[in-house]
Amino acid sequence: MRFTITLAVAGLSVGSIYALIAVTLNLTFWTTRTVNFGQGAILMLCTMATAVAARSGVPIWLAGTVGILASAFAMVIAERVCVLPASKVGGSMGWAVSTLGFGILIQGIVSKYLGNQAVAFPDVVLDAAQFVDLFGIRIGAQYLVVFAFSLTVIALLDLAIRYTVWGRVVQAVAQDPELTRVFGVPMRRVVVVSFALSGAMAGVAGILTAQIIGTVDPAFGFSLLISGFVASIVGGFGRNWGALLGGLVIGVIEQVVGGYVSTAAGHGVSLAVLMVVLAVRPQGLLGRAEAVKA
Amino acid sequence: MTRIRFLLGAVLCDARFVGLLALAIVAAAPHLSEATRQLISFAVINILIACSINLLTGMAGQISLGQAAFMGIAAYASVLLVKVAGWPFALSVPAGALMAAAAGWILSWPAGRVREFYLAMMTLGFGMIFVEVVREWDSVTGGVMGITGIPSPQLRSLVVFGRTLDTADYLRLLAVIAAAVLFWLSGLNRSRVGRAFFAVHESETAADSIGIDSAMVKRQAYTLSAGLAGLAGALYGHLVSYVGPESFELHRSIEILVMSVIGGLGSLPGQVVGAVALTWLPLQLEVFEDFKFILYGAVLVAIFVVMPRGLAGLLFPPPRMIRPAWRQAAAPPTATTGGSARRVVGRTVLAWTGLRRSFGGLTAVADFSCELAAGEVLGLIGPNGSGKSTTINVLSGLYPPSSGRIELAGADVSGLPPHVVARRGMVRTFQDPRLVGRFTVLENVLLGAHVHARYGALEAGFGIGRIRRDEPAAIARAAGVLTAMGLDDVADRVLETLPYGYRRLVEVARALMVEPDVLLLDEPAAGLSEGEIGRLERAVLDLRAAGVAVLIVDHHMDFLARVVDRVVVLDGGREIFRGAIGAMRDDPKVAECYLGRMETTDARG
Repeated sequence: MRFTITLAVAGLSVGSIYALIAVTLNLTFWTTRTVNFGQGAILMLCTMATAVAARSGVPIWLAGTVGILASAFAMVIAERVCVLPASKVGGSMGWAVSTLGFGILIQGIVSKYLGNQAVAFPDVVLDAAQFVDLFGIRIGAQYLVVFAFSLTVIALLDLAIRYTVWGRVVQAVAQDPELTRVFGVPMRRVVVVSFALSGAMAGVAGILTAQIIGTVDPAFGFSLLISGFVASIVGGFGRNWGALLGGLVIGVIEQVVGGYVSTAAGHGVSLAVLMVVLAVRPQGLLGRAEAVKA
Repeated sequence: MTRIRFLLGAVLCDARFVGLLALAIVAAAPHLSEATRQLISFAVINILIACSINLLTGMAGQISLGQAAFMGIAAYASVLLVKVAGWPFALSVPAGALMAAAAGWILSWPAGRVREFYLAMMTLGFGMIFVEVVREWDSVTGGVMGITGIPSPQLRSLVVFGRTLDTADYLRLLAVIAAAVLFWLSGLNRSRVGRAFFAVHESETAADSIGIDSAMVKRQAYTLSAGLAGLAGALYGHLVSYVGPESFELHRSIEILVMSVIGGLGSLPGQVVGAVALTWLPLQLEVFEDFKFILYGAVLVAIFVVMPRGLAGLLFPPPRMIRPAWRQAAAPPTATTGGSARRVVGRTVLAWTGLRRSFGGLTAVADFSCELAAGEVLGLIGPNGSGKSTTINVLSGLYPPSSGRIELAGADVSGLPPHVVARRGMVRTFQDPRLVGRFTVLENVLLGAHVHARYGALEAGFGIGRIRRDEPAAIARAAGVLTAMGLDDVADRVLETLPYGYRRLVEVARALMVEPDVLLLDEPAAGLSEGEIGRLERAVLDLRAAGVAVLIVDHHMDFLARVVDRVVVLDGGREIFRGAIGAMRDDPKVAECYLGRMETTDARG
């Protein structure tokens, strides 16, 4: 029982990161109806850049800022190079393939020039050896901090979406891009800001993950992205609270199965959940089916 | 330049050239160096894999990010059958390919329910699950260590029919198999099977509307594609004498996709070029390995914008979808819109009663009843949003009715899927013509003959059996319809190069190829010139004479006045008028719905 609770707490913690990644996918989905298949490389880029900068003596807060800016910038490029031209091609195959390619490109560049080896990630707030006592169960303090931090970021974004001018425009674009354009909203700017923000938040998710894992390598983002997909799909694409629910559920399932069977089995189960939910209820547990338009 | 391209395309796409090349490899195999044999062997296997993803992604439009898993399933299956069960190689390879095909068929069920990027995620997930399973199930698959010591030509341990194969023999075998597969695919692509793949790629709704069961077509594409990838995978496993999970991971699936898009999605010779280039380059350029993923990434980012048709777009003329041999075998056309004598003019063929369709709180069509007789042309008119298109969408099966009953030739068809409704004899067109842009006019029109042909993938590929009768007959019929519609001079023009008006007429011609008893035309005259309207008019009157029932939704009153027998006017989803078009013009209710309520002049009030 204690073991299960420990695993569940770890699961909630990593699940909150999955939710955060899913929310960054939502940001681009709302504004352009696209999902970045290269998001894993974006968050790897931030984390790698932070780790490498910190290793060479840059203070951690500065290194983190540089990393987050790098991933935000990479997303702006991705929008310009992959998403914008593909919208003229039509269909989703164009942007799905080109964003996937963008991720492979970044991963290729990083492993070529920063090396293929795992880099140790510095502790930002707490180190992994610190524990807190919760109802007699020792729980890594790191997990709690990560959980609180990702939830805060998600909540802040949700508030921004609800109560800022930018957020309302994003909501409007998500509802009806054509109409929003007609009203004279500077769409390009809204889209670019959303992508930059998506990249920055993905970077934060990467740093949080690296806090738990302790190291980062060029291949680090991909399985995280898949988990982000699972969180999105389970909760219903484009829904922040759905993403949170989906992320937490998947995080707990993955950790519990991972703890009792094997890590690979944990991962396999979350992939199986992805397939099953896609097949049975593509709109997600909380989503509503989109009406087919002739 | 165009001439060179044409010649190059004609030579490379010719079955005789491929056969000669295979023969040359068979003859030269023993004289080649070991390294060259291996290079060609890998190239041939890559050609098979590129062709497999081309079938699914290039032709049928279903993106696959897990193609390597199909290879892996067959490779493990074949290798285990040989090593553990003691099967002969000659049986284990086809068995492995069949198991991959079965996996493709199974995957096609959940995959058929999702589209667009959800499908990309699903195939990604499928590919990753396969690798996880292989890693974990180490009692069978050897886990991350893989399986070694597989009977192979390199170890001189592969015995087939009592003969020990060396690498030259294996290369010969590969060349013969690949030539046979390419021959089969070139026939398949230029048949109703290949054309249906492209039709589903372009629009599933449009494919269903002419009776092509798009769900079944997709299942067929998955099964054939997975089987082909499996064949390549099984042959690969025995070639290298080792299988391990890392050979079938995501990066392999990406590599397969890159080969196919560089070669040119949808083009068969393009696949050969892409596969050969990506096999040969890494061996020639030492630095390639270092920059491999940077290059792959860059290719995937840029290809759809810079070179959407890949190398094939530069090297070859666009692929055509009809085999010249069938065209030569076709009888000379007789101009006809496809009316057959079995229809009894005047008998009711379509009747709907109490038809109702609502979307959430909005009722688009309410309690609408009407009937159509064979040889009758009915105009359905009304202002925008009055429920005309919804009526067509419900009748054709695109939306199930919220309530009400639709009877076609006496049988209830309400709630049946669109392709079944089309096969029962009711076909519709769309407001925005949904045709395959890269097809010629004739190829588009031939899509309408899909339901009348019976031949399958095997007959189509090898040009045997029923295709020898069905395909020339369909071509002759299509030519007849085009002549009747006045489109015969543009029969071989690529559709996307034609003006809009032509596309509408082509869509009507394609619907006629299904030989419907009831034809539903959704704004057929919109955007047509007067001359084109004249052709449309003649076609409609021809159909009426042949006993076809036609329902036309349109705003063009002069056109309607010349063709319809009577009209029904809808407003807010309800019928407000039924009768002759002349009487409609004087009807106060109709005038009111178009022009607004006339205030009764009452100066005293």
